[in-house]
Amino acid sequence: MATEKYNLKQEIETVREDCLRPTQKWGRSTQTWIGCLLIVMGWGLYCYIHQLRDGLGVTAMRDYVSWGLYISTFIFFIGISHSGTLVSAILRITKQEWRRPITRSAELLTFVSLLFGGIIPIIDLGRPDRLPNLVLFGRIQSPLMWDIIAICTYLVGSTLFLFLPMIPDMALCRDRLTVCDSPFKKFKKWLYTKMAIGWKGTKSQWHRLELTMTIMTIVIIPVAVSVHTVVSYIFAMTLRPGWNSTVFGPYFVAGALYSGSAGVVLGMAAFRKLYHLEKYITPRHFDLMGRIVLALTLIYAYLNLNEYWIPAYNMVTAEGHLLSDLFYGSYSKAFWTCQFGTVLLPIIIMSIPKGRTVTILTITCIIIVAGAWVKRYLIVVPTLLHPFMPIQEVPGTWSSYFPNYVEFSVTAACLAGIFLVITLFSKLFPMMAVWEVEKGILIEHDKQAAIELRTKREAEEAKIMGKRLKTGFEPLK
Amino acid sequence: MKMNSMIKITSLAIAITGLFCGIATAQDQSQALGKSEATIELSYYKKTDMSKTAVAVIKAKNNDGKFVSAKNARVNFYVMHDKEQQLLKNVNTDNNGQAVIMLQKDLPLDEDLSFTIVAKIENDNLYEDAEEQVHYKDANLTLNLNPNDTARLVTAKVTEIGKDGKEIPVKGAEVKFYVHRLFGIMPATDDNTITTDEKGEASFAFPKNIPGDTKGVIIVAARMEDNEQFGNVENKATASWGTVLAMDKDPFPRALWEPYAPLPLVITISTLFGGVWFIYFFIFFQLRKIKKEKQLKMR
Repeated sequence: MATEKYNLKQEIETVREDCLRPTQKWGRSTQTWIGCLLIVMGWGLYCYIHQLRDGLGVTAMRDYVSWGLYISTFIFFIGISHSGTLVSAILRITKQEWRRPITRSAELLTFVSLLFGGIIPIIDLGRPDRLPNLVLFGRIQSPLMWDIIAICTYLVGSTLFLFLPMIPDMALCRDRLTVCDSPFKKFKKWLYTKMAIGWKGTKSQWHRLELTMTIMTIVIIPVAVSVHTVVSYIFAMTLRPGWNSTVFGPYFVAGALYSGSAGVVLGMAAFRKLYHLEKYITPRHFDLMGRIVLALTLIYAYLNLNEYWIPAYNMVTAEGHLLSDLFYGSYSKAFWTCQFGTVLLPIIIMSIPKGRTVTILTITCIIIVAGAWVKRYLIVVPTLLHPFMPIQEVPGTWSSYFPNYVEFSVTAACLAGIFLVITLFSKLFPMMAVWEVEKGILIEHDKQAAIELRTKREAEEAKIMGKRLKTGFEPLK
Repeated sequence: MKMNSMIKITSLAIAITGLFCGIATAQDQSQALGKSEATIELSYYKKTDMSKTAVAVIKAKNNDGKFVSAKNARVNFYVMHDKEQQLLKNVNTDNNGQAVIMLQKDLPLDEDLSFTIVAKIENDNLYEDAEEQVHYKDANLTLNLNPNDTARLVTAKVTEIGKDGKEIPVKGAEVKFYVHRLFGIMPATDDNTITTDEKGEASFAFPKNIPGDTKGVIIVAARMEDNEQFGNVENKATASWGTVLAMDKDPFPRALWEPYAPLPLVITISTLFGGVWFIYFFIFFQLRKIKKEKQLKMR
């Protein structure tokens, strides 16, 4: 029994060490990576200042296509932000024990993609200084207003959802960081102390934490669904071919879950490889996540069919022109690549057990995420190029759109910003919820012990029963 | 002889060269001073309350050679009295290049009972000197709207002020009729210009379909505009000849396309998001409790 206790203690200690190891050193490769990200962000910032100074005319957007790469990226990032809700909240609510090592990366992905997703519409504004007017003089009837409210609500919610399970881990980091021989370590100590909010691990503190986490788990799901539904309303409530669709709400939510869950798989694969977490994030996790991604891809494919099949059957004038362009016009290659390459092909791959292995699933999820981004572009741009009133007597460049270097640079800077925040986070805080993984080990250990005890009891009972049968006594009830 | 003619020719050439040089120097000096060429447009107005104003609109040439409103130009207003100019006031132009002064009621008159107002730009730092004058006689324009007249006849009478203050009817003066609206004035009829008869009267029947205020009251204005003899003279009168304006009790009902949102929408959004934010505040409260617990323990 003493050896067993010792083993358990040692196992927990190993978990702690494995989780905290990445936060203890900043290697040269990390510094180079951060440097590269900062260069991309710096160039993007320069391009944005150029855009601010000379106006949106420096982008490829014109009168007809006023929402281009920026808004497509905004929808894509908001979609990715559904990852945390799905993996963390849904798996937590359904008490899936295998979720424990992957929840933090999912919650972080939600927070960061939402943060940068929220910035992009501001980048798309020609006069961002007028943004306060949207709040001061905004009309509550406008879906744009709902969008602001929903995104702000979701951002606060996902920040809380990320922060709450971090509290015991922050206390652990605080207590473990005893030697503060450099200003950076002093800063880390200060940060951990502040973020631990005086956590001592008392019974009542655990009770409060678990209560708040349960509440947040329940609340964050409808909030997340509302965010992407409202984002879809920006399009669906506009009288435009391709957008004015009743299926747009669930279609956007399904699309977000499909790309978000694939994003989680990519996060899992990256952290597993970079921080040597193979012991915790196992092939089983990939298999289970693959099943989830498969299920969500099937739902997304079904809604895709509804979104395009019904209007394609009717081919009403304006809608018909748009669909013709998508099916066999200038956007047909991108459209069919998205449908077959990033929806149908992943379904086939993930249906096979071998398609859910670490490497293949990671590659499949890269395809899904890239496809989801292109799909958002195909939702936004072709519709803007097919207004009800024909495009005439305008410069030729207005009737087509392809993002230019300014848009690509600014978007790349946002993506680099996401990577930078994730990198800095993973270098400051444990990327697995230490206490949750420990709890998982304890539960597993208790289960093992219970099974052993039960087997022992059953064996003893069988022994007694055998003796009684031999002596002719009635068995005891 | 030859010598003399040579000297004369040389002197003439020097004189001509000197003259051109002088003109060029004067122009150079003017350009060097940076003064712009300016024009003055002077108007005279007599309003309903018998007040008289003079308005000078100053325009100056910009670098592109176009005349634009001259801001901050100093304009001196004079009135002619016994063939001498008597300074009334100097006024700086506003952003629209306008300088306005109120004139005294009894302006000094010439022998022909007319008065002369002069506007001048003199020794201004920004603009070259310019002058404009107007020469008008004093006239009265009366407007008569009889509220009991079923024919709704609007009659304007133009009279010139004679030597002993006697009013002499003016024949052939063009009077224009207008109706006041919320943001300006509107011609009362399609052809709103009526010429006065021998009695100095111009009349027209007021249309029946012009909306008034909530009591049907309208304001009619009669104007002589840019009259050669009398300048701009105006008078106004009111009558209940307009159609009664039925005010909409609820001009902006709550709707998606109106300034105020429908109540069910406001309530739904407020309840949904308000509920979520209430929960967030509860979470913050719990976090505060976790923090406070530590402080209690430490004591």
